[in-house]
Order: sequence, then structure tokens, then C-alpha cells
Amino acid sequence: MTDLILKINGVSQAFGEKKVLFDVNLAVPRGQFVSLVGPSGCGKSTLFKAVIGTHLTEHGEIRLFKVGGESQGERVTGPGRDRGIVYQHYSLFPFLNAQENVAIGLTLDGTSIPGRFFKPFTWWKKQREHMERAADMLQRVRLSEAMKLYPHQLSGGMRQRVALAQAMIMQPEVILLDEPFGALDEATREDLQGMLLKLNEDNQAARSMAGLTPLTLIIVTHELNEALYVGDRVVGLSQHWDWEAEGHAQFPGATITYDQPAPVGIAKTSRDFERFKMQREEIRRVVFEPKKKPRRTEYLAPI
Amino acid sequence: MIRRPIPARASFLLSLLSILVLIVGYTWMSRRQKRINPSDTTIPTWSQLAQGVTQSIVPNKRTGERWLVDDIRASGQRFALGLASGVCAGILVGMLMGTLPAAEAFFHPPLALLAQIPPTAALAVFFVLAGTGNAMFISMIAVGVLPALAMSVFIAVKAFPEELQFKAYTLGASHAEVVWNILARHVLPRLVDAVRLSIGPAMVYLIAAEMVVGDVGFGYRIRLQSKLLNMNVVYPYLALLAGFGFFTDRILHELRRRWCPWAEGEEV
Repeated sequence: MTDLILKINGVSQAFGEKKVLFDVNLAVPRGQFVSLVGPSGCGKSTLFKAVIGTHLTEHGEIRLFKVGGESQGERVTGPGRDRGIVYQHYSLFPFLNAQENVAIGLTLDGTSIPGRFFKPFTWWKKQREHMERAADMLQRVRLSEAMKLYPHQLSGGMRQRVALAQAMIMQPEVILLDEPFGALDEATREDLQGMLLKLNEDNQAARSMAGLTPLTLIIVTHELNEALYVGDRVVGLSQHWDWEAEGHAQFPGATITYDQPAPVGIAKTSRDFERFKMQREEIRRVVFEPKKKPRRTEYLAPI
Repeated sequence: MIRRPIPARASFLLSLLSILVLIVGYTWMSRRQKRINPSDTTIPTWSQLAQGVTQSIVPNKRTGERWLVDDIRASGQRFALGLASGVCAGILVGMLMGTLPAAEAFFHPPLALLAQIPPTAALAVFFVLAGTGNAMFISMIAVGVLPALAMSVFIAVKAFPEELQFKAYTLGASHAEVVWNILARHVLPRLVDAVRLSIGPAMVYLIAAEMVVGDVGFGYRIRLQSKLLNMNVVYPYLALLAGFGFFTDRILHELRRRWCPWAEGEEV
């Protein structure tokens, strides 16, 4: 059996009369970069919030399989340090500079308020170490120059890079990105996509080396090229599916209608989106086209 | 013309001019008054003012009191303790309201009502509840500034994006750490702004209370000397109040700049 990191089991959610998600199932192996796409209003963010644990769903459960944890996994009941997030907006704490923003995770996780007050010497030593590690991490995302700048002094692209460093330094089991590059201009977006591909390459290396845990990424995006370029796998969540064929009298909610591997991108290869054309058109047809209502299992590939 | 910036030099000269106009205008008015009525004390001349200042500083021959020293000590203590307790209570109530919806439901109605009562109008209540000692002045200032401070802290906490709060949890924060490391940091610049804005009202409450029940302090002295038409004592006292308010404001402004360098440009 594959080494799973995350399993979404039969998640359904309705807000009163409004049905949002219906029986969403997804298993994510460790080290995979999953792109989650879907038309607006399909419940991407509801699913996203459920995985983070801030808004639990009515039905179903989400299980997380940590390294060295229980084989049954742990049920997600709230936000925790095992799942990092990068939002489109509000990505950084405005009152901390770039370096502090990256270091704060280590601080919050590794120290406690009483500890900081009553053992100041240990605290100062730790603080210095956290800041050094944050500096290293910022170097990894090529931001050494901007360490002392506050978020409002950073450009949108730099902010997202700091946010990624902030999530990565915690070495979470999985990092969730919600339209991370949505507000960026094309050139910056390209640059950051390249950075994710670089991470994916590091992942391949980590996978082949024993003892290193590869990074798992779930990236929510509305840009199909981005989904195919960055992800190893594209998952489409859509309200346009043939629910009548399953015997529902009413629309039960959006579900996963598309799940296929994406061509593996390599950082240095050109961003030739022509090679995605076939698959892109397929996704557009299956996930985004309201008139076309596929059966649920039609476009699901087993992992 | 409209909203077009002027050279810094011109701006400085104009500020200088305004002060000059005040000084020259006052001198002219006091001289004219002197010519009309030599024993007049409503618009004292500069020499009369100097005499008034000396009178306030030098120990009184009969009682040995030094008005200004006694008044600064008494009023300063009341003001500092009153404002400090009001700020502490405001932070506590505002934080509770912002973080716990139950506290919000509990505190919101009384606070909204309390904010509408001018403490100066409720003077008798403080008199009855806290006596005529320092406790009365302190509680009056504290209760007077509390609603505005609590509300600004509450609003600042409310305005904090929940995404950042969730993010703090994913970075391993406990609830206490979210309050202390995240929300408190976010609130700080707004709190300093709110304190700056509450200095004026706090001074109003204190002076009003001292005018009514004080036997020492700025309000007491100003009321007494106004009745005697000793304006050469009253004006320096007013100038001192203005200077105090101005410098406290500047100090808080400077502290905000130092403590919250990220919040430049969004202050009041």
C-alpha cells in the first residue's frame, strides 16, 4: 500500500438548503503535489477549510497519517502545526518583519509564554537560534536581502515567498496553498511556480534518500495551466456531474469528478503550455462545462 | 491652490508667524486694557503674569504653601493613576470582548450606555460611591475613559483577519499565545492611538471634579483664582495644561513609532 499522508473520507457539507459538498473522497500519498481545481462556487474553500480544521464538515472525516504516528491516522478536529497554510491574502503577520514572520512558528511551537518570562536566558538563546534558522530558510527562497522588511514594504511575490518559508520551516506533514499566486502579475507568478517546481525536484531527491520526509503540497487554483504545471496530480471538484444517475432527486453537492496524474514538470523546462493542451481541454470539459455532466467515476484514475 | 503643497520653509515661517501674532496681539490687548483701567486684572501684562508665576512658585508667606508644586503633585497623581487604571481596565474588557463572544454579549450593553453618560454629569455618583478623596478623582477618570478605550481595543481585535489567527494555530500557537503574541501585537498601535485621544477627556473629567470638590489641584486653583479674577495666575496654569497635553501626546506618538514601526502611516 502507498504511504498515505491524508485521507478524505465521504465528506459532505450543506449550509441549510444550500448543498455544497457531496461524498468527497480523496487519498493523498506522501510527497505528492496535488492541484485542486474547480469552477467558482464548487466548494473548494469549504473543502480547504475542512482540511485545515477551522470549519469541520457535517459528514465524513479527514484523517492525517503522520510519520511514526498511528497506522489508523488521526482525525482532523482543528487547525494544527502538522498542516501549514499559505493564503492568497493575509499571508503574513503585518507586525513582524520577514525574518520574524518565518521564525514565529518555531517560537510559538517550541516555547511557552511562562517559559519566556521565567527562563529568559534559555529563551534568548532559543530566540537567536530561531532567527538563524529563519534566515537560512529565507535564503532558500532567495530573500536574504529583505529579511528586515515588514510585509507592507514587500512586493506581493516576496510576501508569498516569505509565507511559503513560514510554512516550510515548521516541516508540516502537508502544506495547503489557497490561490497562492492569484493576486500576482504574470512574471512573479512564473517565478514562484518555478520555485514550487524546484521544491518538487528536492522532493524526488528526498524520496530516494532514506530518512528524509518529502513535502506534500495541496494547491488550490483556478488556473488550469498552473495546476498542470506545478502539480503531479490534478483533482477537479465540480457541481456539474450526473447526480441523477445515482438516484438523487435533488442536487446533493459538488464532488470530485476528475482525478488524473499531471505531466511531471521540471524547473528548467520551458513553460510550454501547449503540451498540456489536450489535458487542459479535457479538464475544462469535464470540470468546468455546466452542460456536460460526467458520471462520478468516469474520469477518476486510481493512484 | 487647493491641496497643493507649499515649500517647507514657507510652512515653517507661517507657523512662526501664527505664534508671533498671538504674542503681539496679546501684548497689544493687555496694554490697551491697562490704559483704560490701570487696576484691571482680566488681561494682565507680561510683568503681571511674571508676578503671578512667582506667586505660584514661591512659598506663601502666611501658609507656607507652594501652589504650583502642590497642584502638580496632586493633579498629576490623580491623572496618572486614573488614566492608568482606565487603560488597564479598557484593555482587559476590550480584549475579553474581542476574544470571547460571551464577554462581548455581556459587556456590550452596559458599555454602550456608560459611554453616553458624561462623567462630569454623574459627579455626584462618584462622590457618593468613592468619597471625596483621591479615589473619587481616579475612578472618575478611569470610568470616563474606559468605554472609548475598551471599544477601540474590541474593534481592533474584531478587525483582525481570522485567516491570520488560523495561521497562528497552524504554526503551533496555543490560545494564550494567539492572544499575547498575535492579537496584543496587532492591537498595540490602535491602543496607543486611543490613549492619545483619551488624554483630553481625562483632563476634562479631572479638572471638572477638582473644581467641584477639590481642595488642591489644577481645577481647584483655576476656579478659585478665576473667581478672584487673578488671571495672572490662571493663564500660566492654562498654559501649563496645554504644554502637558501637548508633550504627553508627542511622547505617545514617539512611543508608537518605536514600538510599532510596521504601523506607520495609519495613525490618527
